[in-house]
Amino acid sequence: MSIPQPKRSATVDIELSPEDLSFQSEVRNFLKENAYKQGDYNKWRLNWFKLARAKGGWDIPKWPEKFGGPGWSPTQHYIWEKQTAVSVTPWDLPFGLSMLAPVLMNYGSQEQQDRFLPAIRDRKVNWCQGYSEPGAGSDLANLKTKAQLTPDGKHYIVNGTKIWTTLAHIADWIFCLVRTSDTGKKQEGISFLLFPMKQTGIEVKPIITLGGAHSVNMVHFTDVKVPVENRVGEADQGWTYAKGLLQHERTGLAGISRSLVALESLKEQAKGVKRGNGTLMDEPAFRTKVAELEVDLMATEFTELRSLAAAAGGHNPGPESSILKLKGTEIQQRIQKLTVEAGGIYSAAWGAKPVGHSFARAGMSGYLSSRAYTIYGGASEVQKDVVAKNVLGIKKSGK
Amino acid sequence: MDFNLNEEQQLVQDSVARFVSDRYTLESRQSIIASGQAFSDAHWATIAELGWLGLTLPEAEGGFGGNQIDTMVIMEQFGKGLVLEPFYASIVLGARALILGGSDQLKQEILPAVIEGRCQLAFGYAEEQARFDLNDITTRAKVDGDMFILNGHKSMVQNGGSAQQLIVSARTAGAQTDTTGITLFVIDTATEGLDCSSFPTVDGLTAAEVSLNNVRVPMTRVLGEVDQGFAILQNVAMDGILALSAEALGAMEMLYKDTVTYTQEREQFDHPLADFQVLQHAMVDMFMEYEQCKSLLYRATLEVAQSGLAAMRTVHALKYLIGKVGTKIGENAVQLHGGMGMTEELRIGHYFKRLLVIDAQLGNSDYHLEKFSTSSAYQG
Repeated sequence: MSIPQPKRSATVDIELSPEDLSFQSEVRNFLKENAYKQGDYNKWRLNWFKLARAKGGWDIPKWPEKFGGPGWSPTQHYIWEKQTAVSVTPWDLPFGLSMLAPVLMNYGSQEQQDRFLPAIRDRKVNWCQGYSEPGAGSDLANLKTKAQLTPDGKHYIVNGTKIWTTLAHIADWIFCLVRTSDTGKKQEGISFLLFPMKQTGIEVKPIITLGGAHSVNMVHFTDVKVPVENRVGEADQGWTYAKGLLQHERTGLAGISRSLVALESLKEQAKGVKRGNGTLMDEPAFRTKVAELEVDLMATEFTELRSLAAAAGGHNPGPESSILKLKGTEIQQRIQKLTVEAGGIYSAAWGAKPVGHSFARAGMSGYLSSRAYTIYGGASEVQKDVVAKNVLGIKKSGK
Repeated sequence: MDFNLNEEQQLVQDSVARFVSDRYTLESRQSIIASGQAFSDAHWATIAELGWLGLTLPEAEGGFGGNQIDTMVIMEQFGKGLVLEPFYASIVLGARALILGGSDQLKQEILPAVIEGRCQLAFGYAEEQARFDLNDITTRAKVDGDMFILNGHKSMVQNGGSAQQLIVSARTAGAQTDTTGITLFVIDTATEGLDCSSFPTVDGLTAAEVSLNNVRVPMTRVLGEVDQGFAILQNVAMDGILALSAEALGAMEMLYKDTVTYTQEREQFDHPLADFQVLQHAMVDMFMEYEQCKSLLYRATLEVAQSGLAAMRTVHALKYLIGKVGTKIGENAVQLHGGMGMTEELRIGHYFKRLLVIDAQLGNSDYHLEKFSTSSAYQG
């Protein structure tokens, strides 16, 4: 019995074109040839970026061609994401590369672009993001850190406190939202400043989070002096610049490719957990949860493809892209949670080395850290408000 | 990568959408049901005239050579209109089985009439003890010269009361749940010993209980090989699931959009309901789950069109998600409409009832999740 083949070929197509296939094998080869083997990690890391640069901007895949980026199609970006998720690539931080750089490209002066972008590209300067404050979390526009212009108009004097500042303790510079005016709506009167972290008047206090890790901090500013030329764009217009950046941050947080890899590890780990004559994967309740998760991930993977295909066709991101952060982070958390469940009582062992199942120690700390995924970059509840307003078109009645 | 319809598919979509918006108001649909007919003969004639019955059938059989993507385009729009005419039973299930297994002579005898709408088909695959397992069959067929004699019972046969030709699965060898030893037969519903007792289903459609008492069927009316009918059965079920899922997607879109509209109009506590954040978030959830279903429907449909039965795992995933999300969106739409959601006056309840039935057709969400999670990827 054979199944009749349709004569008409559909344009709806998920197959890669021959050009995309050859790009895919080029990426695979590059990642394989230049994987870390042994020796000085830092030397390898910086050299990896040099080699990627020589490929024609592979060290900055998301930057526009005008700034040295590779000018890939959305499909090529998708291939890159998929391949790098299953390969060992050097660590990289998003703050300068993916968050500040687009703001500078869009709103920075030529001088600022020339001054800051090359060091970001070379991974020589580490940046951190000064957004949230004790009184300004999801309601970011409520921020109070004050920047007052000196009488000669040459400097700002910055006073206030930032919180949840990721890697502030290793950062060389900070991009920071500050209040330069108190009149009008709270979104007005915010400016976007850049300044070095290693100077008098800046105090960084570690915050240890549930997973036991030190990655976020509280940062106090006391009379920190910042030259006016370090302000990006116009005074009091910083909110507009920051909003664009937040959007960028949100779409980058879905992590679908990484979740696909993590789910496969979870299955392997669960198959290694003995239970009676079988394994944890034979337990219907656990297996069912893994299956539900996998189906959601299969759908989300295609939601991302739909969003990419729309971008490739030159369309604005459709409604499907608005759900990627919400769904993507929820899925990441569910994988982490099932990893802890798979670890059983060994997930409780909190010494330096894992006890029992080898994955259990990292599983617990990963799970605890993952609780932040639905909080940072705009809590999920705030995201839903945004979808209700912008996608479903629900307007406040004003009553 | 491209998820846009091509020009022909776009034209079909526009024309089915126009048919639905012009002729399928809730009022006209309910009046067809109230008249005691299973569907409207006039609408069926229009559907045939517009060429949709042949759209997805091979050119060699007088069709236009479309595939599962074309079926998806039609069924999604039918879902928006809650269309009663038996495109699904007659074309997606019946004609597909004939194409996969019918002899040239049998196809020539039946398919032209099916494409013209003069003949309707139905597919009897279910039996009570089988629940959702297509291979669990007690209806028996015994050879008698150049005939088979069938005895048994087929249950919940959609469109069984209107069809002229009925396809049934029967056991010709093996034990009750063996996948070999299953044979498919095409039976004229006027055959002696065949009784179709039709009744309404909760979604406004009809089904029949079919009993077979010494029904004599010529050898020439076997689909595929004797004992080897299971592969055809699986292929037809797979296409059926895709079509039902597309129909469900159309219904879900109407439900979440109607709910967004209604909650902005209806006022309580001096506010439109949509001012309340707890309701906004419920609607955002409905919208997100709808989009996820759409993504998985595209994925499964493309995979089946490209690789057939190898895509079965994705089809299990799809039917699970559609069943789970469809009923949830239906329940929430009723909840957010309040008392009005409970009435027959609004479309909401009718979409909800259709989605409830779709969940139970060809295996419900629990059934398909179990199939998905016992596939090889989950074995140690």
